[in-house]
Amino acid sequence: MFKKSLKLGIATGVALATAVTAAAAAQCSNDTWKKVMSAGKLVVGVKADYKPWGFRDPSGKLIGMEADMAQDVADAMGVELEMVPVQSSNRMQFLEQGKIDLMIATMSDREDRRKIVGIVGPNYYTSGTNVMSPKAVGITKWEDLKDKPVCGKQGAFYNKIVTERYGAKVVAFTGNAEAKQALRDKKCIAWVYDDSSIMSDLSSGEYNDFEMPLNSEDDNPWGLAVPLAEKNCVFGNFMSGMQYNWLSSGRLIELEKKWGIQPTKFLADKKEQYKDWLAK
Amino acid sequence: MAMLKSIPGINSASTTDMAVLKPVSVATPGGASDINFSRFIADLPWWLLPALAAIFMMWPLAAYAQSTYTMADATSALVKWLPFLVFQGFVFNILISITTMALGTFAGVVLGLMQISPNRLISKPAWLITQTFRNSPWLVLLFIVMLAFPFKIEIGGLIIQIPDWIKAVFGLSLPIMANISEVVRGAIASVPSGQWEAAESLAYSRQQTLWRIILPQCFKRMIPPWMNWYAILTMATPLVSLLGVEEIVTLSRQAMAAENGRPELLVPFYGFCLVIFFAYCYPIARGTIALERKYTVKL
Repeated sequence: MFKKSLKLGIATGVALATAVTAAAAAQCSNDTWKKVMSAGKLVVGVKADYKPWGFRDPSGKLIGMEADMAQDVADAMGVELEMVPVQSSNRMQFLEQGKIDLMIATMSDREDRRKIVGIVGPNYYTSGTNVMSPKAVGITKWEDLKDKPVCGKQGAFYNKIVTERYGAKVVAFTGNAEAKQALRDKKCIAWVYDDSSIMSDLSSGEYNDFEMPLNSEDDNPWGLAVPLAEKNCVFGNFMSGMQYNWLSSGRLIELEKKWGIQPTKFLADKKEQYKDWLAK
Repeated sequence: MAMLKSIPGINSASTTDMAVLKPVSVATPGGASDINFSRFIADLPWWLLPALAAIFMMWPLAAYAQSTYTMADATSALVKWLPFLVFQGFVFNILISITTMALGTFAGVVLGLMQISPNRLISKPAWLITQTFRNSPWLVLLFIVMLAFPFKIEIGGLIIQIPDWIKAVFGLSLPIMANISEVVRGAIASVPSGQWEAAESLAYSRQQTLWRIILPQCFKRMIPPWMNWYAILTMATPLVSLLGVEEIVTLSRQAMAAENGRPELLVPFYGFCLVIFFAYCYPIARGTIALERKYTVKL
């Protein structure tokens, strides 16, 4: 009787142990990684309407800072690169559905997004929320936006910040050109977007009657993403390594310069932080 | 028909209370209203196209006289992007419209024939489907198809990805199917009933009558409204840009973003879309009118 139950106990134990091992193995099936390596092709989702990060040249080719980063990844893996244009509204779905293997698409790293896609650190860039507004309006603090119409871009998380925190009424457009036209037409008192993009608009000389009067809020790191199942597996760890190397080698500072983005303190700090301690 | 004789009970007051066989009312073939859209387009003067083009090119100059961005800048930006917009954008719109029309026509003809079936179990559902899709907003149908359809199908381990534009084709072909169904039903109804009766008297079966006598007569009548629907569909293809399909409007937006998202570009770029759609649909509209004139049945 005792022997029998002992036997049963051992059998159950073995069965359980096998099950646990199987579950652990299932966690890292590395499907996407294996698919990319066997097909010899990496499909990366990048923006097609976000200059200078991801945009098109007149021949239709996708270019920009993130397109260059995608090329670096494909080169490191030794595979061909295919870029697929994504939008803010569909980029996470594309990754979930397997239409793309990797997403580098100016995405702010947010807690809710981490539940959907596998965002891996260290973050490669950061930007804050700010507004461009006519000098004549004379905005001095974020609270001035309360109950006022503010133009935004559809799918951008900046919209949520000004709505929830400062009670602005966001009118979201499909494109930046449409939103800026609405700002010029005085349909809204400000255009809410990322600070680096607003800075480059202001420095173009086309917006001399406009200003960026506020302090940037929510300096939010950007994250690239692999499928959620691959986050702690080969692909996710590989992308962490890619980002670490980009930051410590100064490759991103190089690309920033190449694409005419104003040098950010973030990248300079990261280069210092991840410096090789033996480097002279 | 000069002067109609007065026929009691028909065009003058009845003078008898006996049963009188009234003439069959014959619907106008094809229905004049079927091609209102083509008529509208075709009635526009030919010089409208160059005139529109000129206005859109001049627009930045007039609207932003104070800006440093000149008309020449906007024009050269548009010229630079023109091949991209036409060959990767507009050609795709045409592809979507042709695929949708092929699918919609096939399904529409089947549905239209079902509508005239003497079996109520077939004709009633067909009528319901036709009316549902004919009276629904196209964009809503597109959204439903886009969200409800799977993005990939698995057949015995083989995974087939369904690209978004194929789903858009399905979505757009639903209203086309319903409208073509009505065109088919209307055309069959427009054939004088004497044809059916004559065929019956010659011992043709219903199927024979339909295929050998009625449908050949309908075919010519269906062409003008069918072309009209094709033109309407082509005009509607930019709707799919809202679903992220990379057609001319989506690509125009991307091109404007690459040109630093200057608001001065909005009118020339969207104006170009308008002009190119007009250039494509105008000949179709003129052809529709010409065919309709040719095939009008003189009773």
